[in-house]
Amino acid sequence: MPVRRLLPLLFALLGAALAAPRPAAAEGLAFVMNSGAASISVIDMSTEKPLRRIPVLREPHHWALSPDGRSLIIGDSSGNSLFFLNPMTGAVQRRIVVADPYQLGFSPNGRFLTVNGLARNQIDVYAAASMKLLHRFPIRSMPSHLAYSPDSRRLFVTLQGTNRLVAIDLQAMRVLWDRPVGNTPAGVLWQNGKLLVCDMGTDYVAEVDPEDGKVIGHVVTEKGAHNLFRSPDGKTIWVNNRVSGTTTVLDAATLRPLRTYHIPGGPDDLFFAPDGKVWITRRFAESVAVLNPATGKFDLIDVGRSPHGIFLSPHAPSPDRLAAAR
Amino acid sequence: MRDPFDLAAGWVQEHVLLPFLYQVGWMRWEEVSYGWALAAVYGLVQVAATLALCTPLEAWRPVERWADRRAVTVDILYTLISRVGVLPLVTFVLFYQVQVNLTGWLVDHGWVPPMLELLVPPLLGHPIVTFFAYAAILDLADYWRHRLSHVFRWWWALHALHHAQEQMTFWSDDRNHVLDDLIGFVWFMLIALAIGVPPLQFPLLVLVLRFIESLSHANARLSFGWLGERLVISPRFHRAHHGVLAAGQSSCNYGGVLPWWDMIFGTADFSRDFPPTGDPEADAALRHGGYLAQQWSGLRRFGRALVGRA
Ligand SMILES: [Zn+2]
Ligand SMILES: [Zn+2]
Repeated sequence: MPVRRLLPLLFALLGAALAAPRPAAAEGLAFVMNSGAASISVIDMSTEKPLRRIPVLREPHHWALSPDGRSLIIGDSSGNSLFFLNPMTGAVQRRIVVADPYQLGFSPNGRFLTVNGLARNQIDVYAAASMKLLHRFPIRSMPSHLAYSPDSRRLFVTLQGTNRLVAIDLQAMRVLWDRPVGNTPAGVLWQNGKLLVCDMGTDYVAEVDPEDGKVIGHVVTEKGAHNLFRSPDGKTIWVNNRVSGTTTVLDAATLRPLRTYHIPGGPDDLFFAPDGKVWITRRFAESVAVLNPATGKFDLIDVGRSPHGIFLSPHAPSPDRLAAAR
Repeated sequence: MRDPFDLAAGWVQEHVLLPFLYQVGWMRWEEVSYGWALAAVYGLVQVAATLALCTPLEAWRPVERWADRRAVTVDILYTLISRVGVLPLVTFVLFYQVQVNLTGWLVDHGWVPPMLELLVPPLLGHPIVTFFAYAAILDLADYWRHRLSHVFRWWWALHALHHAQEQMTFWSDDRNHVLDDLIGFVWFMLIALAIGVPPLQFPLLVLVLRFIESLSHANARLSFGWLGERLVISPRFHRAHHGVLAAGQSSCNYGGVLPWWDMIFGTADFSRDFPPTGDPEADAALRHGGYLAQQWSGLRRFGRALVGRA
């Protein structure tokens, strides 16, 4: 059949057409974990348009980037699974079965992966390379967010249900201390040798001494201080206040409030884009706010129900380029 | 596109529940409260949609006309308690906790928790098809629960409350004894755990199914035609189940949404045309009493059936 002989030629022509140089498109993909819709929204960062949704099993909440940068690992808590995604394309690499992975994070030296089971009251420490469970700490109650000391020797986890912060020695695999730090502690961050802990039941961030867990100060933000993030230049710390629907920017050195942005709809996680904009999930408003910090104005992007974690992959090729590569 | 009902639930969460939880120091329950807000908003929408569609239908082609509609009001209370009130919260939170703990325990012991999408991998990524697969399995399970509740004397003692209504309307779907509801919930939970039902993932579709169940109780001369009635349960079909002659231990048409289980297991009866409803053996409290009187009467019947004097 002549058609059959024509086919290779057609493919060759098609390939040449696709490989031809194209105008450089802006790059970047955003991944948003829709915890109430069992999906991950993939958004084109340059156009701020949702591209597609990656189905997961039940309830994706938080993420961690593998130390080699090749996998975006997303915890599907009631789906009892970790999904490994290619952060450049969103392709699912694999899924492994893990009990109740609500929150997760690698130690700075890349040796440990900690997985918090909020609903099952457990903190699991894995060897990052082999994914072998090294130790399970059954703990009361509701372990939610985590932070490491910069030397990766200690792990700190907030216990939302009992208003405490627990410190774990990762060398000896034992609890160092477990102390009250306010009301409904959530986000925790190591900053200048201190721990900053968001107290969601209050309007402040507690300053905690990592040696003994004593509260040594309070930084007042607004109602429902939920989670906090350090800007890429290290100069500011951004606190999302769940109840008041605001984001407070603190001076990282002095911890004095610099500015407050109004982001209604239950601001939860955020991520800093290279262009200076800040992407914030709005938990109760099914959308992501892309905030321009200079003007305080934001664009909204529709995502799925109860968007929680967000990850930006600014160097991911744009969808056009991806299509061309295929 | 954002879902308007989700946004309404988000509004309730942001402007009513969160400030309240913050005030009383219960912020740790904020995720639970959002789940309840979703369940309650969808419950309310269910009730409103059913009201809007069934009221004209019942006025247009009523099977029966009543001068005194007081017996209907208690069914309205049943509906509100069941669909908007505490029940969504209890069932959602309880089921979620049990599911998380059971599946986590299975994972710890090297098992893969059951999930329909994992048993049938092509389903993953097709949420609507998956939903209907889950719904069909749960509907089959509910067929057997309902059928058995007519078989055992102690169980029928409870379920008779549902059948005692002589003025059956679209409000009557949730008219149940709390113990019967509890058994129904445990039954649902066991099946749902076995197949890994995702709680609250498909509120809109649940709304449609619950609407069909409410509609099937409507006081309306409505049949879906020969074929339609064999696809989805119609008011005519379910009314035959509520007929005075069908009350008790040998009844027909036990299905909730799909008539297929009745057709497969030989209990379908498409011949009866809009009989009067009720249970001739039910006492006055069960027929016309208030909420508490009905519950108490059901409990006494249940106790008597257990000791074998019914
Ligand atoms: Zn019945
Ligand atoms: Zn019925």
